[in-house]
Amino acid sequence: MSPAITVNDEPHPWREGMTVADVLRERNFVFPLLVVSVDGVHVSRDAYGTTPVPPGAVVVVTHLVSGG
Amino acid sequence: MSGTTTSPDKVPAVEVEIDGHKVEVPEGTTLLAAARKAGVRIPTLCSHPAVEPYGACRVCITEIEVRGRKRLVTACNYPVREPLKAFTESDETRQQRRGVLSLMLARWPNVPAVRVLAEKHGAKPPAYRHPLRNEATDACILCGLCVRACSEMAWEDIIAFAGRGAGRRVMMPFGEPSERCTGCGTCAYICPTGAIKVHDEQNRPVDPARIRKYGFRLTQEMTLLDDQQCQMRRVGTAHLVEIMDAYDLLPTHNYKFGKHPDTPKIASHVWKTFVRQNVPDGCWAGCQMSCAKAVEDFVPRTGPYQGQKVLVDGPEYETVAGCGSNIGVFDPHDILEINFYCDTYGIDTISFGTATAFAMECFEAGILDTEKTGGLELRFGNGTAALELLHQMSRGEGFGVIVGQGVAEMKRIFAEKFGGDPAFLRDIGMEVKGLEYSEYVSKESLAQQGGYAMALKGPQHDEAWLIFMDMVNKQLPTFEKKAEALHYFPMWRTWFGLMGLCKLPWNDVEPEDNAKYPEPNKVPGHVEGYINFWAGMTGQEVTIDDIIRMSERVYNFQRVFNLRMGKGTREWDRGPYRAMGPVTVEEYESRAERYDKQLRELVGYDPAGKSTPEKLAALRKYREEQYEGLLDAVYKRRGWTRNGIPTIETLRNLGIDYPWVVEVVRPWLEKEGAA
Repeated sequence: MSPAITVNDEPHPWREGMTVADVLRERNFVFPLLVVSVDGVHVSRDAYGTTPVPPGAVVVVTHLVSGG
Repeated sequence: MSGTTTSPDKVPAVEVEIDGHKVEVPEGTTLLAAARKAGVRIPTLCSHPAVEPYGACRVCITEIEVRGRKRLVTACNYPVREPLKAFTESDETRQQRRGVLSLMLARWPNVPAVRVLAEKHGAKPPAYRHPLRNEATDACILCGLCVRACSEMAWEDIIAFAGRGAGRRVMMPFGEPSERCTGCGTCAYICPTGAIKVHDEQNRPVDPARIRKYGFRLTQEMTLLDDQQCQMRRVGTAHLVEIMDAYDLLPTHNYKFGKHPDTPKIASHVWKTFVRQNVPDGCWAGCQMSCAKAVEDFVPRTGPYQGQKVLVDGPEYETVAGCGSNIGVFDPHDILEINFYCDTYGIDTISFGTATAFAMECFEAGILDTEKTGGLELRFGNGTAALELLHQMSRGEGFGVIVGQGVAEMKRIFAEKFGGDPAFLRDIGMEVKGLEYSEYVSKESLAQQGGYAMALKGPQHDEAWLIFMDMVNKQLPTFEKKAEALHYFPMWRTWFGLMGLCKLPWNDVEPEDNAKYPEPNKVPGHVEGYINFWAGMTGQEVTIDDIIRMSERVYNFQRVFNLRMGKGTREWDRGPYRAMGPVTVEEYESRAERYDKQLRELVGYDPAGKSTPEKLAALRKYREEQYEGLLDAVYKRRGWTRNGIPTIETLRNLGIDYPWVVEVVRPWLEKEGAA
């Protein structure tokens, strides 16, 4: 069985070299107001592309609210 | 904004060494910003992160070395293009900085900001007496921050430099008060000397400085963060169109689906080409969000303004979705024309879009035909028919008279006069309490189903928009958590109505540090601002609990009012099934994988070998039961009975158990045995 991560309580396939930006792209999380953490550690927006996601990681992508 | 002159995502990095500290910055970063990144402080009097650098005060003068050659530059507006070394405390730098500060001391000897820097850097007043010497402590030092803030932060150009040389000064046009100035106070707040004063003569707040502090914070956030967040200044709420499509939430074809292949034709980049009036819109004096947009020189192809140039006020998200995707129209011109005529005729674009979408589905389902519609081919995507319907409504003619009465009446008329199946009409007629739904697909968010159907005014999302929290973030896994959200957010949002404030500055730009809070969805930094707004206006210190209680009192009054009007019980808090799940085979099969998975994992029902109608029925039973569970939980949290009636105890706790209020609820409580 290939290793997986958890994204917002749902399993998601993991692969070597995966970053936060990859997870957001694969989940189609295009909303601009996000708060992201990997294993409980906050990841700032400018670090999405460089922050690795280890196998088994718990990724929480909190979408905030926009609009009336 | 200052810091970089190009996007940091697309440019190469350059290594800079500042006082021995090495740091990499994107090419184009100013030396001042690079120094900040390296932890080196360069003094300045005319720089602010929210406005373009200007090089007015020259205090940031710094010696640099590029390819072996040394020279002096002003750090605030010097862009780093190649590797360099900077020496912020070299003899040359210190001597030049002292000289600049000495000249400033000569002209403005008593301004604290100048004196503090001069003392710190060893600058002495020159021996001569400056002919323009100004002894005031709040003298204008011509740093230009106010001028740039007015232009770049407030999007106005009300104040500017006038005169030359010794006569240079900041003023409004012709030296007279400008009617355009809203008194937003941005210039006064950013001024380093206090030269600009704001006189609060209208509302007489107890502590205007306290309010202004938080107002300026919003202005700063809009200037620094909006372009990378929601782009409210560029395109307003229409930025949501493609986002809602990406999450399967953009209503298409009367809320059957949440996305459409033609959405790019009506996405935000399209609206940016139409919207040219990117100026403060004036809907709220001094608001820097400026999200209301306008399209100039639009030429309608139909109706009384056919062929004439008109101005269209919009479009914002709800209009694009309601008068576009939800009726299958993906031509931006048609959406603009519907937008324009709705405004001109005084018709709400949400109600028009949702009512028309319902009529179109009824037409495609065979309940209506051209004989009944007076010749209108009301098929999804027929923008011409939608426009004609709109004109008929305004004239009180033809089929427009029927659609103009709204979805609730159409359901009755189509069943009674046209032989439509009342159950089907009830399922697809997107209204509750007589009001049409606003433009989000709520099928996959139980909390939002409640947010819509329980809303006191009818299914408008301004009480609660919980879809992301519930469906995407999975933050509300239990009935109790959903109920808590359906208590907090409606009460919080009600408070904006009580104050006469717009909600958008609360959540359409987020503070840079929002992520540090445990509940970022509530935008705690902004909540703190509103608490200070209240205290600054009234002098009364409050907490968030006090604010929620203010709303609870009014919210419960409203519920009692609904009850008095015959729409305040449980049966009125249920929405059409289209808002809760797939009504038709077509809908189910369009997302069969999702629904089959839910049947297996949530319902415990094996979909293998089952027909779509069987699966539809099983899913519906589950979802409707879930909804009833949600109603129970929310009513309990709000202190209401199982029928949704505020108890006497709740009214008493809120201090609104007036006899005339109790008189309304008591008969209902007695029916439930809860009096």
